[in-house]
Amino acid sequence: MRPLTGFELLRPRTLVGALEIMATLEEAQPIAGGTDLIPTFRDLGCKPGNLVDLGLIPELNYLFEEGRYVNIGPTTTHAQLQASNLIRERAQALHDAVDVLGSVQIRNRGTIGGNLCNASPAADTAPPLLVLDAEVAVSSLDDSRWMPLQELFAGPKMTTLDPDELLTGIRFPKTEGSGSAFHRLCRRRGFTLSVVNAAAYVEREGGTCRSARIALGSVAPTPVRINEAEGKLEGKRMTGALIDEAAEACREHVSPIDDVRGTAEYRRDMSAVLVRRALREAWRRAGGEL
Amino acid sequence: MTTFDLNGKSVAVEAKSTTTLLDFLRVQLGVTSVKKGCEQGECGACTVLLDGLPVTSCLILAPQVDGRHVTTIEGLAENPLMKELRNAFMENGAVQCGFCTPGMLLSSYALLRDNPHPSEEEVRAGIEGNICRCTGYVKIIEAILDAAERIAPE
Repeated sequence: MRPLTGFELLRPRTLVGALEIMATLEEAQPIAGGTDLIPTFRDLGCKPGNLVDLGLIPELNYLFEEGRYVNIGPTTTHAQLQASNLIRERAQALHDAVDVLGSVQIRNRGTIGGNLCNASPAADTAPPLLVLDAEVAVSSLDDSRWMPLQELFAGPKMTTLDPDELLTGIRFPKTEGSGSAFHRLCRRRGFTLSVVNAAAYVEREGGTCRSARIALGSVAPTPVRINEAEGKLEGKRMTGALIDEAAEACREHVSPIDDVRGTAEYRRDMSAVLVRRALREAWRRAGGEL
Repeated sequence: MTTFDLNGKSVAVEAKSTTTLLDFLRVQLGVTSVKKGCEQGECGACTVLLDGLPVTSCLILAPQVDGRHVTTIEGLAENPLMKELRNAFMENGAVQCGFCTPGMLLSSYALLRDNPHPSEEEVRAGIEGNICRCTGYVKIIEAILDAAERIAPE
């Protein structure tokens, strides 16, 4: 038995209680499912200080549609999203992602807010939310604001949140005539980080692509949108050749690194392959033909 | 004081924040069917049911189970579905060294409880969080499909 050391566990029951702790205690570290965080505690030099467990706060666990938005609470687990018809119908790319993320055990425990705030470049929920044009709510005791999801990511394992801030909501608009999809590549199905992951979203008007969004993970310091590739599709008549062209364009706009999971060169190649698959599926789901 | 339900019995024990549920169960409460493997949430040997859902106990801090229900294989000893699974595992040769078996049984139990007629693909997905280094999974998958047939014959 190697005990963990060096932290206290605080379990506030209200959001304002959690925000007070974040504002007043040194080294306050929020914890939700703990599936990314707890394994790091055994690393030498990792000193979490005060862990603030968000699991007892009902205000952070919700899933509903209202007006033009789908709203997801940050402590909603991947399993809750996987079981949701709302997500299956309104956020296909996100549903694809939570279907393959981690394992049964991880999905029962891990949360969408944790996946985002862990800020891994390989986070599987990030590309789907980026193409769904998601915004996140960031709150402190004094302030609460919505910002585009992209602005949450500062670098590998780094967010732009201030020490007293918490992620308190995720929302994205619903659009008729749209379709989205997520594809990833990894060593095995259960519990492994994506070598590359990709999501695509298209809005269809007859045979024309009205709007397109493409995002990739594990190919840059943060999950990224590829605006240059999106521009190749928008306003054009959708064909297999056009999708190939947009997918190939992604190669030039990613900046992957070599690591234990794959080489930069391989990731660049796979970016094009996965974006092609995701675009074709998203278009089909939007009711389009190729 | 952490108070929770362990296999149908209420337990009230002092649990340190820095103790994982896995160590808490094994060392403080003596429930050694919960195995310690990777301590990273990858191998699934430490799987328990938390309010009925399979989770890896190495990634949960002991005080976090306060007020919740924790189930290990001991709590399902007399459960009809678990009995069928146990028999099917034995008869299909799904156990070799046995280290993964408690976790594998709990994942299989949760799978068949929620989906009594799984396809082979669904069985594979249901146990994707449980690593077995002996069997190559073939006999485990056969055993789970066999148990499904026994419990709910078409």
